[in-house]
Amino acid sequence: MSTLAVAKKDFQDALRSKALWGLSALFVLLSLLIAYVFAEFTTEMGIEEQTAKGLAYFLASQITLFVSITAIVIAYKAIAGERESGSIKILLSLPHTRRDVLLGKVLGRGATLSIPTLIGLLAGAALGTALMGEVAPVALGALLLMSLIFVLTYISIIVGLSALTGSTSRASMLTIGFFFVFELLWGGVLIGISWISRELPFLSNDPAWIDILAQIPPSAAYTTGLTALIPGDIGLADETTADAFYQTPWVGIVMLVLWLVVPLAIGYWRFSKADL
Amino acid sequence: MAAIETSGLGKEYGGDILALEGIDLRIEEGEIFGFLGPNGAGKSTTINILLDFVRPTEGSATVLGMDAQEQSQEIRRRTGVLPEGYQVYSRLTGRQHVEFVIDSKNVDADPSALLERVGIPEAADRKAGGYSKGMKQRLTLAMALVGEPELLILDEPSTGLDPAGAREIREIVREERDRGATVFFSSHILEQVEAVCDRVGILRAGELVAVDSIDGLREAAGDGATLRVELADVTDDAIAVVEGVDGVTDVRRQDGGLVVSVGNGSKTRVLSALEDAGHEVMDFRTEETSLEEIFMNYTEGDR
Repeated sequence: MSTLAVAKKDFQDALRSKALWGLSALFVLLSLLIAYVFAEFTTEMGIEEQTAKGLAYFLASQITLFVSITAIVIAYKAIAGERESGSIKILLSLPHTRRDVLLGKVLGRGATLSIPTLIGLLAGAALGTALMGEVAPVALGALLLMSLIFVLTYISIIVGLSALTGSTSRASMLTIGFFFVFELLWGGVLIGISWISRELPFLSNDPAWIDILAQIPPSAAYTTGLTALIPGDIGLADETTADAFYQTPWVGIVMLVLWLVVPLAIGYWRFSKADL
Repeated sequence: MAAIETSGLGKEYGGDILALEGIDLRIEEGEIFGFLGPNGAGKSTTINILLDFVRPTEGSATVLGMDAQEQSQEIRRRTGVLPEGYQVYSRLTGRQHVEFVIDSKNVDADPSALLERVGIPEAADRKAGGYSKGMKQRLTLAMALVGEPELLILDEPSTGLDPAGAREIREIVREERDRGATVFFSSHILEQVEAVCDRVGILRAGELVAVDSIDGLREAAGDGATLRVELADVTDDAIAVVEGVDGVTDVRRQDGGLVVSVGNGSKTRVLSALEDAGHEVMDFRTEETSLEEIFMNYTEGDR
């Protein structure tokens, strides 16, 4: 009840952010463009088979950048900003626990980001479907579901990071730093790790765990998880030859769940002990 | 049961900054208690501990009979708060703010009536970001009043208000007390407290230096009053006569007259003693010791 009251207030508040709607308009236009390009120019791009399922993946590739950046924009101040300005005192003068506040923020801002995400995806899917004359309900359903989970996860990560500090400048450094390390630079990090693992003989000579490390970024986990839900074998792992769980696309979903829970739990632990 | 009780309450911030030390305070149900002290004396730290915004490093506090740390949520369900250093949600309207409190406390209340009561009915549907400082303060007071709480904790409620606004707040504070609520409010301005409080506590540099009624403080500070007597001729004999009167604590010569510190019952005795001894009293007047002086005494003296 308390969590929902916070979520509702937060939703009303965040929904009026101009930055949110600017980014959202951009995202909807991009989705329409992607769907159009996919439907009309597949042969030129060297894609052999034009399917509605392919469209779902094509749309998914656009989602990760939009969701990660927009999540940072609308949520990095979720806790830190309220602590810095003092509005947290209004929130916590009311009968809400600090846990209610954190969960309410995740739900409220998650719902906020879900709206443009769904509109963008549905618009793209509708245009693509109309142009191609083919529908893939399972693939699109999976895309929508995974995208909502991804939205909630990203918001949860950013709110968790925001709860670590009472300063918005530190919160922005933490969240942008997170984005750089786990989204932009992770490929380089992996190369470094695999180089080290070759140089250090005491590490396993079969670095299967590199496969897992590659799934750590939330965006990678999302894309991989999507292949677990969409039937067929587009994706990086082939289930028939996979001999371990971590080589199946389900590892992406597990990774997302970890991202959903762990940063928020750490943020809660710090926030619950803080003097405001 | 005490509405608020603290025992040995202390707070030390990192780096050995002592914000509060050994605060023993007991506020009875149904009273208006003024928490007085200069800025930085620890008033907000005390209030922040009562609301569990800040955790004490020593001692304990109970509010409405419940532990301020363990049962904070229930305390806040039954308490209306106007916090210090808050900020409103600039993108939400006044009405949405009050509705949020109604949702949060799960009570029935009429946002329009509350906004009317604090004097900003016309601003109900405007975004609070455009409110003046005084309007934000009134909005926050309306939020504190939602659901007729048993206890009101108001931290510097007259901040940003003009004298008329401050008087309206005092009026509301009285109405709330008459309804049966306990009101605990802090201020660095003496008049705010003097006009409305049953008892006051004075905080200085993190320590509680006095807790008493306004009258009690006056008495403790100077036994009531100062008597100023104009004489035709001020002589040492006149001073000796006055010093000999029971109840006189101090006599000073000032601008061709005498300034006498004296208990309330002894003023006429001073005058008759002077006349009996043959001194001609030209004029006299009594001045109550101003609370301002008492306050200054407590907060600036070398204690």
